[in-house]
Amino acid sequence: MSEHSLRYIDNNSFFTRIDALSKLLWVLMVILTTFQLTNNISRAIMLAVLLFVMIFLARIPFKTAWQALPIILIMGSLLFFVHLFTAPSTHTITLAGFVVGKEGFDKGLQYFFRITIMVLASFILIWTTDIRDLMVGLVSIGMPYRYAFTIFMALRFLPVVQQEVDAVKAAHAIRGRATRSPIRHRIRLWQRYMFTVIVNGLRKAENTALAIESRGFGAYPDRTYTKAFYWTKTGILLLILFLAFAIWLIFWGKTLPTS
Amino acid sequence: MCTFVPFVVYLEEPSLNQITPEPLVRFEQVTYKHYGKPAPALSDVNLTIQRGSFTLLVGPSGSGKSTLCMLLNGIIPQILGGKLTGSVTVDGHDISKTPVQELAKSTGMLFQDPEWMFATLKVEDEIAFGPENLRRDPKQILESVEQSLNFVGLQHLRKNLVWALSGGQTQKLGLASVIAMETPLIVLDEPTANLDPATTHSVHQLILKLRDEGKAVLLVTKDLDEFMAEADDMILLAEGRVIAQGTPRDVVTQHGGKMLELGVWLPEPTEIGLRLKAAGRFNKPVPITVEEALNVFADAKFSASNPNGKLVAESETLIHAENIEFTYGNNFKALRGVSFDIKQGEIVAIVGQNGAGKSTLSKLLVGLQKPTAGEMTMFGRSAKRWKVQELANQIALVFQNPEHQFLCDTVREELEYSLLAQGIDDSVIVASRVDEMLARLDITDTADSHPFSLSAGAKRRLGVATMLIGGSAKLLIVDEPTYGQDRRLTERLMQLINNLRREGITVLMITHDMRLVDAHIDRAIVMANGEKIFDGSPDMLFQSPDLVERASLRTTTLRRLVEGLRARNISVPDGLNTVDDFIGALQ
Repeated sequence: MSEHSLRYIDNNSFFTRIDALSKLLWVLMVILTTFQLTNNISRAIMLAVLLFVMIFLARIPFKTAWQALPIILIMGSLLFFVHLFTAPSTHTITLAGFVVGKEGFDKGLQYFFRITIMVLASFILIWTTDIRDLMVGLVSIGMPYRYAFTIFMALRFLPVVQQEVDAVKAAHAIRGRATRSPIRHRIRLWQRYMFTVIVNGLRKAENTALAIESRGFGAYPDRTYTKAFYWTKTGILLLILFLAFAIWLIFWGKTLPTS
Repeated sequence: MCTFVPFVVYLEEPSLNQITPEPLVRFEQVTYKHYGKPAPALSDVNLTIQRGSFTLLVGPSGSGKSTLCMLLNGIIPQILGGKLTGSVTVDGHDISKTPVQELAKSTGMLFQDPEWMFATLKVEDEIAFGPENLRRDPKQILESVEQSLNFVGLQHLRKNLVWALSGGQTQKLGLASVIAMETPLIVLDEPTANLDPATTHSVHQLILKLRDEGKAVLLVTKDLDEFMAEADDMILLAEGRVIAQGTPRDVVTQHGGKMLELGVWLPEPTEIGLRLKAAGRFNKPVPITVEEALNVFADAKFSASNPNGKLVAESETLIHAENIEFTYGNNFKALRGVSFDIKQGEIVAIVGQNGAGKSTLSKLLVGLQKPTAGEMTMFGRSAKRWKVQELANQIALVFQNPEHQFLCDTVREELEYSLLAQGIDDSVIVASRVDEMLARLDITDTADSHPFSLSAGAKRRLGVATMLIGGSAKLLIVDEPTYGQDRRLTERLMQLINNLRREGITVLMITHDMRLVDAHIDRAIVMANGEKIFDGSPDMLFQSPDLVERASLRTTTLRRLVEGLRARNISVPDGLNTVDDFIGALQ
């Protein structure tokens, strides 16, 4: 009964009720727009909008968001520091008492915002979408159902893999440490997490494949659906409003200095 | 002429009866070898399953039961490969030539852990998944979903997410998904292995209902108690060969001794009959139900006292918990005001329904979680002050899936790791202790094997070994000791656990196995909805039907037999908790 951060939350929020394809298109628009933004203020506004969507439109519980925070921030933060220390800079700024390159700082922030926005938008999609609806939506616009189902299964099993990692971590924690070097111990544990999770993951993926094939999956080139896909008005409205906002943000951002 | 015609008809009727209908399943000279394995998993198997029949498939661990099941829907050999000779036909289809997806119309299969069988997120979508694949009409599918939900009693959960279901509900959903496929054959491979006793009983009732609906059911299970008198057929497998096929009564009567020798789980009354027969103390038919046993032992006499009484530990308190609570981050309160003591040298069981808080309690005991309220003292120090790795020197936990705790590439390295983790790094001492532990747990021949490649029983023993080799553990916690193990392997593990207890190690088991509780446990802590509702001896627990029901437990068939005999005014002494006790007390 423990909690996991990467799964659908059936809370009947405004965002949950929007059709899956509109939300998928919205995520794509967020990503494309972010790559068109030319300065960090615009990117920060985009991130703020996503946080607004997450808190008010999708009503994601604070605890779920908090648990997902490390995953959301890790890549962006890594890239921030890589660029902060490696990007060639001609000017310097003082940051919390440290002198760093201004261009490196700006570049770091740029990558931090881009990655964080992409990950957060994808998380909002996962939290608010029954991925079966996404699969049916993709099939309705012509994607072969086997491919659509592959995406579906990958998302379906994210929380289960997370659960497996938790179980292995707990089991390893009580085995103790066989080396005096904490770093060597940490590396060994990581190797084992990977090994155990991959071996068990493959075994379980095989079981899943066997189970769904034995339930007729792939018997015919197409299949029937008890729930049809339909575009929602709120979904269309979301896309129109967001498109207008994105265009405004891109052009407004161009009036500011590039960073 | 008038009198002649009926005579002719009379003569023809028996010959009509002799025409055997084409069986639903036919195995002819089937031998199968898994890819890359030297020995065949099945050898020269010949068997048939009739339409509408209810068949039990039994055998010890590793006897080929799951392999046989997977032949029935073509997963073997079509997906898993390997080498198959002979022929298997299901509903007229040759399983080697008919695609698995096509065979899905003939064979529905419920796996041991249906969580991995689920392909969607919601209950009703999951049931519709199979029929949708078969391109059935959506209206017809919705009707089928409705019927299947009604059949298993999950109508009220139709919109629920599949991961929000309890263990029993998950298994029922798996069954509903199979039923919706409308196949003539349903294969159930250990469907209740993970369930509490009461939920197991409710799933068993559904299986019998399926049989009543005219489906052919093939069931692999170790819980035979409720099926011996109900099944039409029993197939006994050992080392990939069919040892016997016939009615459960015939198989038990003719091959019961062999079944005991192989370690097949049998209902306790049957085991008693077989063992008495083997000892030459019994010349009546072997009972296969409690009711039959009551008649068979109607004139039995028992000695006044039971010689095999359990030890009662009265010693140092290792763990003291006072009103502890634990709440997960999602506000789910898993433990509510739980208090207990664990004393040195006891064997204690934590029992109760799925989701009652047993696993959470074990996490608290090994320090992976800390109580969110209340006070817990472990070895004289507050639980809050113990670090997981420090506590690991005092408390050993063997996980239900021991693979999770393996860290090395060989069994030997795995044991060496445990010693190094406790600061024992003298190579001579390490080698001698590893050798000693390998021999003690009978896994010496696997010392250089990868831990993941061991058999289920050996993995479980290695799990125990890694946790105990350091020599400092005072408390051993074993999660579901009998899970996936046959009777022989379980007895071996319990022998090991009893030896450890004699050495002064306290053992705490988390289990659904009431036979185990009755046979080996001094004290049972019963959990229900996060609360402790009982703490006492198994005898006291099972004498309270309300408590048993509230905790989703069931009394063993042996207890039902003893109670039945007492109801017939036969004097049966207290403390007959095992088949050995019963036979020992029988005059």
